[in-house]
Amino acid sequence: MLDTLSLMGAGFLNALSPINLLMMAAGVAMGIVIGCMPGLSAAMGVALMLPMTFTMKAETGLIVLGAIYCGAIFGGSISAILIHTPGTPASAATAIEGYQMTLQGKAGKALFTACYSSFWGGLLSCISLYFFSPLLAKLTLKFMSAEYFWLSLFGLTIIAGVSSKSVIKGLMSGALGLLLSTVGLDPISGVKRFMPTSYFAEGINTTCALIGLFSMSQVFILAEKKIKERARATKFSDKMSLTREERRTIRPTIIRSWIIGNLIGILPGAGASIACFLGYNTSKQFSKHKELFGNGSIEGVAGSEAANNAVTGGSLIPTLTLGIPGESVTAVLMGGLIIQGLTPGPELFGKYAPMTYTFFAGFVLVQFFMLGIGLLGCRGFAQISRLSDAILIPCVTVLCFVGSYAIHKNIMDIVVMLSFGVLGYLMRKFDLNTAAVVLALILGPIGEKGLRNALRGSQGDFRVLFSSVVCWVLIILCVIGILSPIFMNRLEKKAEKEAISGTGEDLEKLTEEDSV
Amino acid sequence: MKKILALALALCLVFALAAVAAADWAPDGPVSMIVAYKAGNGTDNTARILAKYAEKYIGQTIVIDNVDGGSGSIGWSKLADSDPDGMTIGFINLPNFNSTIVKELGTYTTANFTPICNHVTETSIIVVRADDDRFNTLEDLVAYCKENMTKASTNGPQASNHIGAQAFANSAGFEYIDIPQGNTADELLWLRGGDADWCVVKVADIASMMTEVKVLAAFATEPLKEEGFEDVPLLKDLGYYPDWLGSSRMIAAPAGVSQEVVDFYANAFKQAMEDPEYLEASASFTTDYKDPEASAALFAQQQEFTESLSEGFWPDIDY
Repeated sequence: MLDTLSLMGAGFLNALSPINLLMMAAGVAMGIVIGCMPGLSAAMGVALMLPMTFTMKAETGLIVLGAIYCGAIFGGSISAILIHTPGTPASAATAIEGYQMTLQGKAGKALFTACYSSFWGGLLSCISLYFFSPLLAKLTLKFMSAEYFWLSLFGLTIIAGVSSKSVIKGLMSGALGLLLSTVGLDPISGVKRFMPTSYFAEGINTTCALIGLFSMSQVFILAEKKIKERARATKFSDKMSLTREERRTIRPTIIRSWIIGNLIGILPGAGASIACFLGYNTSKQFSKHKELFGNGSIEGVAGSEAANNAVTGGSLIPTLTLGIPGESVTAVLMGGLIIQGLTPGPELFGKYAPMTYTFFAGFVLVQFFMLGIGLLGCRGFAQISRLSDAILIPCVTVLCFVGSYAIHKNIMDIVVMLSFGVLGYLMRKFDLNTAAVVLALILGPIGEKGLRNALRGSQGDFRVLFSSVVCWVLIILCVIGILSPIFMNRLEKKAEKEAISGTGEDLEKLTEEDSV
Repeated sequence: MKKILALALALCLVFALAAVAAADWAPDGPVSMIVAYKAGNGTDNTARILAKYAEKYIGQTIVIDNVDGGSGSIGWSKLADSDPDGMTIGFINLPNFNSTIVKELGTYTTANFTPICNHVTETSIIVVRADDDRFNTLEDLVAYCKENMTKASTNGPQASNHIGAQAFANSAGFEYIDIPQGNTADELLWLRGGDADWCVVKVADIASMMTEVKVLAAFATEPLKEEGFEDVPLLKDLGYYPDWLGSSRMIAAPAGVSQEVVDFYANAFKQAMEDPEYLEASASFTTDYKDPEASAALFAQQQEFTESLSEGFWPDIDY
């Protein structure tokens, strides 16, 4: 215990080094910029900035990625509030109340609420990060071949959950990802599988696939539409602050949204975009001023924004301990971890504990930077949110090429990125799910290795797959996972419907902007 | 008088030119050093430490070029295709390098490279869990393995630690089930978690978990020099696998470089590896300088060894 405390303290001291502080500020600012530009989601932002972290120290690199993550999730609220277009899908629910407040000339108040709630949501989510990750990391010694098989299967069942529109299409996307994950050397026998050249020996590069599927395909989609001018961001003059009374009103909302967001973050697959609707809806249910909902309620803004930022800390837990990313952003973050030569698991809390706790401390400090930069820079960021696609498209294209090339300095990576860009574009045209492909690409090899090693170890006896408590817990989770889309769909539909009923706005239009 | 002076001058010129021609070759710009693994990897770490202290003796900056992927074959292909002008050198990891040739991952063979000098050597060891009462000595393990089907985790199919496990099993005459993981960290996790009975790793891999595992034997011909490992029994002495086994990180150039280039780098790296500051910075791993001849011999021996593995070394398992 004392060890852990001293590690935590040392982590803060390391995180407070000038370079780390500088990187936190830069990361948060970059994240907010990415977040408030409609068309760029948090996952894209982290994927595009990933190559920049290669030359940094592991902890600094992770802090930058964490800062972009938090910044982007908050940044989405700026354009949601000011121009009624969520910068990332995670802020879709914020647009409802936030824009109403803007129309009433209370944009400053709305932005302050968003920033303040995001700060608390993110900060509170660090508590679970600090306390649950070492616990889960100790448990990883209980995760052997059979358990990893079930764990990856659980992750795959969540694919059905992320594909909110159609389960069949989600499963089709997942199957495509699984097929692609078999490319490369067989993990058990070392036989070459579907390898045109030795470039594919280690399988398809997930980071390149991700940049292609998320960012490049978005470029194609944006370029296809007519370049349109976005609505001018409303200039606002009211002060960015809340009265003590108002702060007290949103306090319980923040706590509720924190718990919701945190739990959703820990579940693999379900991310910030679901959390914001659940947080918003819960705040409405518990509110004493229900009549304000739809007419610019600060509780609504707080509920949505605290929930989506609470996802951040939660989704890091399974990523760092088990190597199973909680959502697409942490899938990219895990790529950053592996590139630094670190493997998720107990080593991060043993041999590499100083690095891990520095990252945690950095993650805590990032929340303060987010509060400061968010409050000071809101007016400036608001102008970025209406950046024309004519500028956005070439910028993102350049970043896609540079980003994928920088990983290995191999031209083949660009070919892979472009191929996945085209694939992603076609998939989105047919309403298939690109996030499911990425999840399956990551989980496929884990599951395959787990199943085959478990069965080889037991010499073909299937009972090994049901031989431990952890196995059974995971099997039950799988069953819940399979049934969850039905449950989740209903929950989200209900949340959306209740959200719409107040404003009469077509929310579909808000969420379809980009569904990554 | 004038004639004599002219003659003397001419002679001086001839000698000077001859001296220039015979002078040691030296690079005239930044030296590119290819590492076939990503930044932050074990080889990358040791390469960067060496590069830092070798710049003084080489007189030029060394730029580490991480070209990873394809189990190392992408980087080694790039090294093989570089101009043999001495401006590009690289690290070669034995026996993983030899495996890529046997598996035909790259377009190169050993003939495409000229070994310069060895840098790091890691000896393979056999480990079990510290609290595993079944095995206190290697004899316990061998006796148990002959009676029971045991599981050994490895760092990948036919990777270095799988080769070690197989060599041990073949020499002791038992069969086992290999549980391949992608890397050594997971290999040891599987041992500690109880899903493997024993495994083969390298000395440096267990530095952070000395209390969790115990070392039963080493694949060496003479006692280990590493601190804390001096008393580890040798497989050879116990009557099993008789040769050294492990991995080496060796500096090599593309085939076709002149002998001057090889000698220049061998000399410069030797000085760097004896530099007191280097020795301090490299305390965590075993520096093992070998001159060009000895390195070439090890290079050839490891290739021969890896090729010999395909004939009857691996058991006939239906995956």
